[in-house]
Amino acid sequence: MSLQSVVQGVWAIGLVLQFLLAATLLAKKTWGKLPLFVVYAVFNLFESVVMYALLSHRAAYFYAYVAGETIAVALGLAVVYEIFIRLFLLYPGLQRVTRLSLYGVVAVLILLAVAVLASHTPIGQNGVLQAVLLVEEAARVVELGLLTFLFVFYSLFGLHWRQSVFGITLGLGICTVVKLLALTVMPYMSPSGALAINVISVLAFDCSLLIWLGYMLAPERVINTGELPQRAQLEQWNQAIMELINQ
Amino acid sequence: MITMLVIALALGALAVLYAAVRSRRTSSNKGIRHVDVPALRTLMDREDEEFLRNRLPRARFTRLKRKRIMVTFRYVGRISANTAVVMRLGESVRFHSDPAVAQTAVQITELAAQIRLQCLVAFAKLSAEFAMPSLQLTPATLVPKYQTLRENVMRLGALETQNVAPAAVAI
Repeated sequence: MSLQSVVQGVWAIGLVLQFLLAATLLAKKTWGKLPLFVVYAVFNLFESVVMYALLSHRAAYFYAYVAGETIAVALGLAVVYEIFIRLFLLYPGLQRVTRLSLYGVVAVLILLAVAVLASHTPIGQNGVLQAVLLVEEAARVVELGLLTFLFVFYSLFGLHWRQSVFGITLGLGICTVVKLLALTVMPYMSPSGALAINVISVLAFDCSLLIWLGYMLAPERVINTGELPQRAQLEQWNQAIMELINQ
Repeated sequence: MITMLVIALALGALAVLYAAVRSRRTSSNKGIRHVDVPALRTLMDREDEEFLRNRLPRARFTRLKRKRIMVTFRYVGRISANTAVVMRLGESVRFHSDPAVAQTAVQITELAAQIRLQCLVAFAKLSAEFAMPSLQLTPATLVPKYQTLRENVMRLGALETQNVAPAAVAI
């Protein structure tokens, strides 16, 4: 079996998974809670179907790829924004510190993205594709940086993730890591190496689809208050605190 | 150079994702743990520290202070973990049908978030003191805020006994 047919097989599996995800999102009426993610998922399905249909038409495939990737990257950033809004609205007390640290992180990420763009100029003869890949790499840097910030921030504050939002963020993170690595190392690869990276990239996207599906279908975890301390122990604690107040 | 930076960012992100999945598995089972507040106060008492500083040889005092800091670290860690549990509980009842319960839940969540932030500052200060034991940077505002949190959680417990009663007693 050639690597090319492996790519097509993995891509076909991805199409089925994307269809299942879109159906799940629509059936669960997720657009009310996460409209941008629904648009992102449906657009990915649409893009994949179009690209699959255009596989044998090189010129049309190229333009569809350029347009599709541009929109997909923009939608990916929009989903990150949606996750931020959704998560931090729950904790108004953290808004100030969130805003301050977010501005700092965004500034650093934009600097890194600009450095990525600057390090690859001037663009060679295959200008349009190279420019698109370059902008995608820069956008992925920002996207991944923001997702990482989100995980680190949530972990520092011990905040609780909703099941579905955690799944979306995790899937997006995995997919973005692999895409960013692929975009970064691709220029240094031989044609066969580049094809292998394509397979890994598509596999990573399929993995993200499975994560999204899994987290969407899994029931929300019930918060367990049963493992809290025994009453006698708690009374003791209360007593100690009261003594502290009165001393 | 830039390529290496981007690869480092990607690999770092992968590590963070892995850590997030691992911590999610364990954190959901955590409950509120006992915090001996008087003991914490004693550990943070500067007079006590001054007494030890004046009585003990420098090397011994440094060793002892580092031990005290390690114990204080554990206490602050517990408070920090407890506030995370309170925030989780607060979030679970913030959309309660009773507006009073929902409002108290919001207040608790916010206060818990502030304490958590203070715990981070406390960790930084304690780390600095651990590195340089001659410093005196005890986070003195942590205990009073924790006390306010306790009162608010008690209030919530009175309003919504089913969900948060154990936490209300515990805090």
